[in-house]
This record gives sequence, C-alpha cells and structure tokens, in this order.
Amino acid sequence: MRAARLKAAATVGAVALTLTACGSSSGSGGTASSKSTLTVAGVIAITGASDFEGQNQAGGILPAIYAINKAGGVMGHKLAYKGVDTRADPADALPAVQQMLATTSNLVMVAGPGSNSAPTIVPVLNNAKIPMTAVAGESAFDRTKDPYFWRLFPPDAANGTAMALWAKQKGYTRVAAVFGTDSGSQGDLPGVVASLKAMHIPLVANISLTPDQPTYLSSVHRLMAAHPQVIMTESDATTAGTFFGELKQLGGLVPIIGTEATFTAPWITAVKGALGASTFQKDFTSLITAPSSKTAAVTAYEQAVTADKAQVPKPWQSYLNNPFSITYWDGMMCVALAMDAAHSTNPQVFNKYIMQVANPGPGKVKVYTYAQGVKALKQGKKIQYYGATGLIDFNRFHNSFGNEEAVGSSGGPQPVELGIITAKQIEAVPVVGVP
Amino acid sequence: MSAWSFYISTLVVYFAVDVLSGVSINLQYGYAGVVNLAYIVFQSAGAYIAAVTTLGPDSGAGAFQSYVFGAHLPYPVSLVLAALAGAALAGLVGLFSLRRMRRDYQGAVLLIVSLVALQVVTADVPLFNGSNGLTGVPKPLGSLNLSLQGYQWAYAGWSMLIAAAVYVVVRRLSRSHWGNALRAMRDQEDAASVIGLNTTVMRMQVFVIGGAIAGLSGGLLVQYIGAWSPGAWGYAETFVIFTAIFVGGLGNYRGVVLGIFLVPTLFLELPQFLPQIGYPGLIDSLEWISIGLMWTLSLYFRPQGFLPERKNVALGVPLVTVEETPALVATAGRR
Amino acid sequence: MLDTLLSAVAFGVVLASIIAIAAMGFTIQFGLTNVLNLTYGGVMTVGGYAAYLAVSHGASAWWGLPLGAAAGSITTLALGHGLLRRFAARGTKVFEMMMVTLGIGLVVDYTLQALTHNNISQFTVLQSAPIHLGAVIVTPTQVIVTAIGLGIFLGLEALLRLTRIGKALRAMAADPALARACGIRTRRVVIFTWLLSGALCGLAGVVYIINSQSIGYTSGELFLPLVIAAAILGGAGSPSGAVLASLLMGIVTQVVSAYGNASYSTAAGFGLLVVVLLTRPGAVLTKGANEELALS
Repeated sequence: MRAARLKAAATVGAVALTLTACGSSSGSGGTASSKSTLTVAGVIAITGASDFEGQNQAGGILPAIYAINKAGGVMGHKLAYKGVDTRADPADALPAVQQMLATTSNLVMVAGPGSNSAPTIVPVLNNAKIPMTAVAGESAFDRTKDPYFWRLFPPDAANGTAMALWAKQKGYTRVAAVFGTDSGSQGDLPGVVASLKAMHIPLVANISLTPDQPTYLSSVHRLMAAHPQVIMTESDATTAGTFFGELKQLGGLVPIIGTEATFTAPWITAVKGALGASTFQKDFTSLITAPSSKTAAVTAYEQAVTADKAQVPKPWQSYLNNPFSITYWDGMMCVALAMDAAHSTNPQVFNKYIMQVANPGPGKVKVYTYAQGVKALKQGKKIQYYGATGLIDFNRFHNSFGNEEAVGSSGGPQPVELGIITAKQIEAVPVVGVP
Repeated sequence: MSAWSFYISTLVVYFAVDVLSGVSINLQYGYAGVVNLAYIVFQSAGAYIAAVTTLGPDSGAGAFQSYVFGAHLPYPVSLVLAALAGAALAGLVGLFSLRRMRRDYQGAVLLIVSLVALQVVTADVPLFNGSNGLTGVPKPLGSLNLSLQGYQWAYAGWSMLIAAAVYVVVRRLSRSHWGNALRAMRDQEDAASVIGLNTTVMRMQVFVIGGAIAGLSGGLLVQYIGAWSPGAWGYAETFVIFTAIFVGGLGNYRGVVLGIFLVPTLFLELPQFLPQIGYPGLIDSLEWISIGLMWTLSLYFRPQGFLPERKNVALGVPLVTVEETPALVATAGRR
Repeated sequence: MLDTLLSAVAFGVVLASIIAIAAMGFTIQFGLTNVLNLTYGGVMTVGGYAAYLAVSHGASAWWGLPLGAAAGSITTLALGHGLLRRFAARGTKVFEMMMVTLGIGLVVDYTLQALTHNNISQFTVLQSAPIHLGAVIVTPTQVIVTAIGLGIFLGLEALLRLTRIGKALRAMAADPALARACGIRTRRVVIFTWLLSGALCGLAGVVYIINSQSIGYTSGELFLPLVIAAAILGGAGSPSGAVLASLLMGIVTQVVSAYGNASYSTAAGFGLLVVVLLTRPGAVLTKGANEELALS
C-alpha cells in the first residue's frame, strides 16, 4: 500500500480547487463574501489504474459546484472541492480519508467513495457523520442501514442484467464475455454471467484479459473458435484497444455490448481508434443509466459543464453524456438543496432532508435547477428535485435506481438512443449469487 | 479533536507495520546480503491468510467474494497463521531463488517473482477474489468493548508492542554468532563456505524468518484496514522500504527505524497537506521521482546511510577481509 | 485442435520477436559491462514515445523505427556512460550497480509519467486485411514485426562476427583484461555497446507499441521482466541464446493461453526460468564467476 499511498498522497490532494471566484457575479446571496466556504470532498481514485473514476467525478461535481456558487452559494456559503485520492486501494484510502477528516474544516459532503475502497471507507464516513453520494457498485450497499450513505446509482449487477435483457431483445443466442481482470471490470462480470444464466442464454466463452499485455492473439483466437454472435465486455481502455484491434484484424469482429463503464471517453477513443469510426458506430452498444429526457435539469447541467470547461479534465465535451458525471451532479444538488431546506450547513441536521428534497410526494413543487429549488423553498414550498439523471426516488436504504438505456456512438459526443430497459424489467429477472 | 486522533493513530499502525518490514528487509539484506525485491509478496501472503481465516467460509448466505481456506478462527490464531503463511511462501520461493548465484541475478529473479505473484492473484479470482480483493475482514479485539477512538489507540499500541518485540528479538539474533556468520557470508561467501558454513541453508534461514515477519506485518495491517486487494501490493511498494533503509542506514536497526520514520511516514504523508500544483497526479509523479533520487543519491554519496552499520560490537573489530575476520574465526571455532 | 496449436505457435513467434529484439540488446550490454541494467524498461518507453511523437506529428510509421532507436541510444549512453561509470569509479560493486539502475529506472519512469500526465495514447498504424497461411490467420503488422526481429538478429550476428568493432566487443566480453592487453580500446567498445544496446532497446519499444497499438509510461516496465528472463535463460552475452529463450517463452506463453487459463500465460513463461533455476542452475548462471564491472 505504501507505494500506493505515496501515490495517494499525491493525491492530488489535489484538486483543492476553490471555485469561489467564478461565482461571485450573482446577486441572490449578497452576503457571500462574509460567510465561510464549505468543502465538498471527492473520495475517489484520482491516480493509478482507475484514475478515470476521478475524471468522471470531476466532470460532474465541479460544474455542480460552479452552478451552485453562481446561484449565490448555499445560504451565502460558497462551495469548494477537495480531491482525496484512494487509488482504488483501501489501504491507501484509509489514512488519506482520515487525514482529510482531521484537516478539513466545514466539510459538508463527500462525493464518493468509489467501488473497491467503499467497504472500508463508508463506515468511517458514517461514523464521522458526513453524508456521501457513493458511486460504488457493490450490491452489499443495496440494503445498507448507514444513515449517511446515499446512492443514486444502480448496483453493478443491474447493469449486467440490462445487458442480458438487451441481448435477448436483439435475439442473440450465443454470447461471449470478455472482461479485464482489473477490479473495475471484474465488478460487472458476475452480474452479466448470473443474468445470462437466469435468462437461459448460453455463454459460449468467458475470456479474461490481463491488462497491458503486448498481445491478446491467443485469446482472440479462442473467442473466434467459440463463434459468438455478440460480445459483452468491459476492460480498461488500453486493453480494449489492443484486443478489439486484433480481433478486427483477424476478421472475428461481431457486435459488442459494453457495460456502462465502456461509455466513457478513454474507452470509446481507444476502441474507435482500433476499429475505425464507421465499424465502431455500427457494432457498439452500451447499456447506461438512462439519461433523462431533455428537461431543464439536463440543460442546466450542459450549460454548467460548458461554462466550467476550463476546470474539468479534458476533453470537457465527454462529460456532457458521461453517466457517472451526471450522477455526481445530481448528488451535489440534492445535498445543497437539503441544506437550504434544513436552514443548516450541519450534516447532522440536514442529512435527513436529502430524501425530502428529492423524492416525489403530494403537494411538492418539481424543480430542475438549484436556483429554482432555493426560490421555491424560500416561498415555503416543499420541493422535489427532478435531476439531470431523471426521477430521483430514494428507497429506505437510501438507494435510487433508474431505468437503463441502450445507446450507440454517433461519432460525436451525443449518444444515439437505441432503446430502454426499465427498472421493473431488471427487477423481474431472478438473478442469484452476485455481489 | 477526534479526527486528528483517528488520523494519528492510523499513522502509528502504519508506522509499526513499516518498522516490521524494515526489520525484516534489514535482516535479509543488511546482514545476509539477500536482496528480497519480492518483500511485499510475503507481507501480502500474511494479509490474505489473516483475512480468509477470519472471514469465514465463502459459501455462506450473502457471500459475495470467493476465496480459499475460509474459516472463523479466534484472534491471535489468525495472526500466527499469517506469520506462518509468510514463512511457508518464503520457503517455497527460497527453494529456487536462494541457490548460490550472483546477487544481481537473485534480485532480478525475486523482482520477477513479485510481478508474477501479483498477476496470478489478480487473474485467478477463486483464489483471493481477484482484483476486487477481500473486504469485510472482522476487527479483532472486539471483545474489549472500547469506544471507536479507544479501539484505534488500543490497536496502535498493540501494533507498536508487536513491532518492538520483533525489533528486540531480531536485533539480538543479528548480534549472535549466527548474525556474525551471516555477515561473514555477506562479505566473503567463498571464505564462509571454506570454513564449513552452509551458505544456502543460512540464506534460507534468514529468508524464512524475514518471511514470517512480513506475514505478521500483513496480518496486522489487514485486520486494521479490513480489506486487502492487489492494489495494495504492487512490486514498487517494496522499493519504499528499501529507500527507507538506504536513507536510515543499512545494517543498523536504529537507522532502519529512523529511515522508516523519515521516508514512508514523514516524506510520503506531508505532501497531503500541500495545495495542489499542476494537474492531478503531478505531486504523485514528483514523489516517486524523489524516491528514485533518494535511492540513487544515497547509494552514491552515503551507501552506509545516516546511521552506518556498527562495527562488530562483540569483538570491537570491523569485518573486513578474511584475515581480519574474527567473526569468521569465532564462528568456525564453534562448529 | 491442431489449428489452435498452429495459431498459438505462430502468435508465440510474433511475441518472441518483440521479446527477442529487446533481449538481444539487453544481453549484449549485460555480457560486456556486467551491469544488470534495470533502466532498460524505461528506455524502451522513451524509444516508443519518440516514435509516437514523430508519427503524431505526421511522420510515417517507418520513420518511427530509426527515431526510436536513436532516442534509445542517446538515453542509454547518457545513463550508462554518463552516470553508471561514475558510480563504478566510486567503488560501486556489481550487485549494488543493479540497485543503482533500479533507482535510476524509477526516476526515468516517473519523469515519463509526469511528462505524459499519466495518459495512455493510442498508436494505430498499418491497418489492413489479415493474411491466411493455411489455417493460421495473421495480420500484416505481425508479419512485419517478425521480419524486423529476424532482420535484427541476422544483422547483429553479422556485426559481431564480421566487423572489427564486433570482434573487439566479443573479445572484451570474454576477458576485459586480456582485451585491454591486446590493445583493444576498451573505452570505445563500451561506448559502442551502450549505443548498440540502446538502439535495440529503443527499437523494441517502437515495435512493442506498433503491436499493442497504445503507449503509456509503464509500457516498457511491464515488458522488462520477460526481457530479463529471456536474457538470463539464454545466457548473458549471447544474442542467439536470447533469441532461443525468447522463442521458447513466447510459444509457451501463447500455448498456455490458447489451451489453459490465459491468466496464467505470462506466469508460465516465467515458470520456465524457475524450472531451469531449479534443475540446471549452472546452465544459466555461467557468468557467476565474473563479478567485475567493465564500464571504461
């Protein structure tokens, strides 16, 4: 862990970006300058093999902070982001998070933790009474009782089930699974395997790829020998580029169904580069958390990403449709509105308002942006924040899952919508034995 | 403030674990000249065994990880097994890596062992749950009924106690006739064999003892963190401990403790307090570059470290050549 | 079944070509200077990046090869002749020298990481239709990679056997003191060796990324263990030994991944080294007697 810690240290401790300057133009929170800054900590892998997690997060949380500050901050308090690097390793994450808890004043929320370090870090944050908007796919959190845990994201298994349902809709009867042995990819594999089994679709090959090998020719050959009609896959971008490049060159390419994680810029760039743009557009589908129809919430998100493009990691356009980034945006909005509703920046006070400002209910006003929410709350109304990810409805375990959507690549940053798999359909599949 | 108390107590646990690593590597490298560039693998073996022997069988209800040897063993037993696992694996690796060969070959072979072990454990999911690793390892000392903070410090104290005990024992061992024989082997292997020391067996002895300490340190750490995965034991982790020893003083146990305090504890922890410079990850690269520079420069300017190896205390004479090597003579006399 | 075996062997030969280019450079330098040079992986990456930069600025992929070789040569000369020689002058012994190269290797790798912002870049050249050789299908890239490997091996053998400097190199590798006594300008030979092994190292880096189609700061480092294992297996200082060992490792690796668990393929390659160390340590450790560095 040390070396790793060392990296963690680096942490980009990074990213302690203070965004106050950007938002001072707005008038609604006139006393902004005199109030203390509130810290939002991102507990996520910022360096190392899973560094894309940190980019996904920055791509959504930084615009959210920008937009809130621009609207005058939370009751006049500006927000600032502080990155805490987990390197996706619990041994690195633990001291880094404790250091963060010890040295951060006015900490109101944690964005994260991500998969892998979550089982170690969630209890620590819960004990410290800091609300967290986790993007951790472990099904162990489906029924968590930790009051400070919030998840607006389906467990990994749900994504696998949606992939299997899509394959069934398309009439595929021979499926091959090609997954990297890195932890991100392995998280999604059991859901795929169990769902295919539950739906009686034969898995003709299950191939694992050790990342960063110079060649995967033998694995390619094995895959081709199994004659699949479709490949379900997730791996890191480099590995995917090499593997699919070789698969295409040897003439074995069949349609690809990727997990949600494949619908991110590095993966798409690598595989599009290896296959050529036209082949890629023809053969690639990904199942992602369904983006909402174009509501005011989506527009607000897109505007904020565009306005804050200098702060987010490159390329900024990729976050416009990045399902992970949008989730972080919504999480931030829920927490900020909860503070306004509770008239408090004390997490122990506002934590229970998070569900109140998001879930639908009788007599609630639907709001799509932070500014709308603040206005409605000031008028004494109850609100339902309808997010850029669509409807948010936390269950009693503080989980909110939406529908899944099959999307393809258009060549540009905008995805092509191919079809919807509803949360109901996913729940109806009798999947057993997944994490 | 309690958050500080949590943070500092965590650093104390990590420090104790690092001291164990330093002591183990110093015995192997500083005394016997065996360059164990696979150290982290043996620590990891201990961590995995301590984890699976307390997690219980992996087939139970709600189980979501797969691993071997699942059991619910009571506390100190799992820790002892961790040390045994480190020792056993060291014995196995020692079989082919401790033959009499050039030491740079040996270093390279062990470095390769470190990489291959990581690859195998990552890829073979049924072994220790692959790259996702093991989580939910139960905390020991639960029966003490301590407050959260009390638990932190109890564990920190317990770790320091173990580290101190191992430190004392290994230092005594190193100063025994056996320790002298090790140094004789390190400096003059031919001469050591001539007077009847079986150097391959001696190397195996230090390797196994060092492996046991490594396993112990891994067990101690995993039961504190509650999780262990391949991300925690990349081959470069070993280099940090080596750098600490180079900086502190090879062959000198106090120097090792100093080096462990300076490098992993101070040098790697302080940058967390810095504001960000450059792009995310730059400080990370710079830290590694500094580790490499520290490593290289200490080998150039001060190969003996801040606190150099003590001369042979028992006899007051340095170990230099065969003719002037009372340790060799003394050892030979005993045999 | 036979098809699978044939394919696996063919793929093994392709992989072996990449390993062999690097292993030949490694073993020549190791045999002569006696430095087990762990900066080699980092230098491979340097060579790869030189080619990547050239190609991404519009140069043809063919230009990447000499450019990568040049970058590898210069870096290796600077590290070997510039740095390591100073360590030797201060009395660093053969074993400590390996530790020195490990430290320098860390600096090289993480400087690359800092410069590339830890990004992985795509490097796609030579996209064209596969070639059918009976039941075995290979890509043009693979054919080219293998041809480059073979060409380098033949060229190197010719250089060592037919040219004056090559003969001097072999003489000095066998016995530095005797070579010096015979009037061979050993300093020149050492410099030549650094340049030659650096060029091969840089070339290996370029060939590696042509085949894997991407480059990151760890590309060379991840490949280094295979190279070292091949060099040790083949016997230090012997290019033909390195080539044979590379072939063996390449084929074993691919056969295991075709028939068994692909996750164990690389491990199986290293398993060869372990088996040889266990059964015939003398066969691979012939250099054991000589523990002198030859850096000037």
